[in-house]
Amino acid sequence: MYSTKNKILNASIKLFNEYGVASVRLQQIADEIGISVGNLAYHFKTKDFIVSSVYEKLFDDFNLILGNYLLFPSLEDFDKQISSYFDFFDKYHFYFSDLFSNEHQIPKIKEEWNSLINKMDLQIKKRLEFYAKSGFFKEINRNNLQTVTDNVLLTLIFWIPQQKMQSKIVSLFRYKNAIWCLILPYISNEGFPELQKVLNDNNLL
Amino acid sequence: MKTPFIIDPKLYEKSLDLLNDLHFIESKGKLVDFSFFNDDKWLSETAVIENLAKVAGQWDIELLFAMHNNPLKFIKRFIVSYSCPRKATLFASIMRRQAAKDQRGTLVVDFEGIQISEN
Repeated sequence: MYSTKNKILNASIKLFNEYGVASVRLQQIADEIGISVGNLAYHFKTKDFIVSSVYEKLFDDFNLILGNYLLFPSLEDFDKQISSYFDFFDKYHFYFSDLFSNEHQIPKIKEEWNSLINKMDLQIKKRLEFYAKSGFFKEINRNNLQTVTDNVLLTLIFWIPQQKMQSKIVSLFRYKNAIWCLILPYISNEGFPELQKVLNDNNLL
Repeated sequence: MKTPFIIDPKLYEKSLDLLNDLHFIESKGKLVDFSFFNDDKWLSETAVIENLAKVAGQWDIELLFAMHNNPLKFIKRFIVSYSCPRKATLFASIMRRQAAKDQRGTLVVDFEGIQISEN
């Protein structure tokens, strides 16, 4: 059972995705869930309050994904995190305009975005280091490791907008395929059966 | 909006390193690792006897743990030493009562179990 507040937030996310954060008006949000603007103002005084609440929800979801770092020492663990990233970036694809804006209407948001993306970058790097240390990867030098990390990060974040820009189908299957294709050349003989299992589970083989 | 919690990137990197290491340091236990429990299980069924020994002018308190139905299975442990014999006696009694499973001291050693052959 959704409360009105949740309904407002979900409708806002949907409209932010469609029209961008700056273009959405309170009237549109109210119309989307079939309430009056007065009722909407009872829950959130201004649009800034809605934007803040949406971002709080967004950052909570992001932190939840980051919290699931290397729960199990397997490639499957990364596969699960990729699924979570896909759900997240697909749900909140208005993030794209945020990442390139020099100034945000709420400066704290820009600050937190930077912090979370840096954490994500470090997590990917450390995860790949872990796989190299535990024998899933071939010997990999520091420069290559950094390049693979950068590529994986880019794909995780920008694959969805890039596909949408080209009017291609956005699906978890294709998203995972794009990530694993980047990692495949570095998988060792020892790690290959594990990767095969992951790809089989996702019907990627 | 809540003030975001910002962690220092170097500290975060270090903590990720530690999380990675967990998977190398920690491993599943084997049954043999738990053998000390079975090996020492008999100690829970022992009678405790305190013993005072005068060594180099000091009174050593020793506790002797003997299996009540097989007195030949025992261990003796030195605990502490006192210069005053009365103090040593008092503390030996307290220590015995604390160490014994049966604090009233009804668990006694069955000396018949020794079965000494006089031949």
